[in-house]
Amino acid sequence: MFSLFYGLWKYLFTKTEYHVLILGIDKAGKSTFLEKLKSIYLNTESLPPDRIVPTVGLNIGRIEVSNTKLVFWDLGGQPGLRSIWEKYYEEAHAVVFVIDAASPSRFEDSKSSLEKVLRNEDLQGAPLLILANKQDLAEAVSADELARYLDLKKLDERVYMFEAVSAYDGLGIKESVEWLVEVMERSKRTEMLRVRAGVTGPASA
Amino acid sequence: MGILFSRMFSSLFGNKEARILVLGLDNAGKTTILYRLQMGEVVSTIPTIGFNVETVQYNNIKFQVWDLGGQTSIRPYWRCYFPNTQAIIYVVDSSDTDRLVIAKEEFHAILEEEELKGAVVLIFANKQDLPGALDDAAITEALELHKIKSRQWAIFKTSAIKGEGLFEGLDWLSNTLKSGGG
Repeated sequence: MFSLFYGLWKYLFTKTEYHVLILGIDKAGKSTFLEKLKSIYLNTESLPPDRIVPTVGLNIGRIEVSNTKLVFWDLGGQPGLRSIWEKYYEEAHAVVFVIDAASPSRFEDSKSSLEKVLRNEDLQGAPLLILANKQDLAEAVSADELARYLDLKKLDERVYMFEAVSAYDGLGIKESVEWLVEVMERSKRTEMLRVRAGVTGPASA
Repeated sequence: MGILFSRMFSSLFGNKEARILVLGLDNAGKTTILYRLQMGEVVSTIPTIGFNVETVQYNNIKFQVWDLGGQTSIRPYWRCYFPNTQAIIYVVDSSDTDRLVIAKEEFHAILEEEELKGAVVLIFANKQDLPGALDDAAITEALELHKIKSRQWAIFKTSAIKGEGLFEGLDWLSNTLKSGGG
């Protein structure tokens, strides 16, 4: 009986922790995005963009927005390392896919990589935020143009948004995070992950 | 008082200090890495019984690097050195494919330790100069690095003998420690 009430109490009052995966091909600006995010929400000094080296592993950022805890997982995007992305899918509440909007020659690589992400069963129903990054550069295409170029077929069934951002100067980052929080709170996937965490018992408590 | 001033001084001028443990199975190359970092030379080493400790100054960070002996019989003593550790460098002999399973088990046992909860993890896929050495993606797979979900990690291909990859790893380490770590 106690455990029942305890469970209910926990269900009602524990802050949910959302896991957000940051994916994208190498040089898209994933780690710079994460660093900017951390500097905006944690008021800490972030690494200057020129000091950020290619990620060969996992970077983590933890922030809190309007009573919600967000954990960002930033994974390396070099071809050899993309195979570990899938290992993080099951526990992810949402995906941020970062694209360098200023380098059209790599759009095709981004497109096929993103399509592969979308096909994966383990990410079913996960809200998707596609970032047209590097808007600080003159040659960057807009979010709309990028959407037209990618022409993604499998998007209809999931909540998604394109957003123009600059991880360099911070454009669009707050809007991105606000959107993520809003859709994750309402998404079926969040419900599904919550149920699964409840079923597996003490380990997840 | 003197200590207070020296702390103020180092916080003003960005001289951070970090305590780093270098761990890994015996014959992974830990001692060679330590002295390569510290002196820039390859020294001939013998199996470490006990530990070596050296200070390496790099990127405004003073790394106090502890190289602990890796033989089976002395691995249980590693934990004596765990408190106040900011980072672990885990060294793997990438050509010793027979013992990768043991390397993986030891690695995950270390990560379970309460006192190392906040430490970031740098993996050196060492001995890349040897034929048959597995690359970073294969070592990532073999060590099951994807199971790490609550701390930052990175892997670098290194050759302590040739001096390759080591400072790239320290770059990552100093950036990560500066931007708040795990």
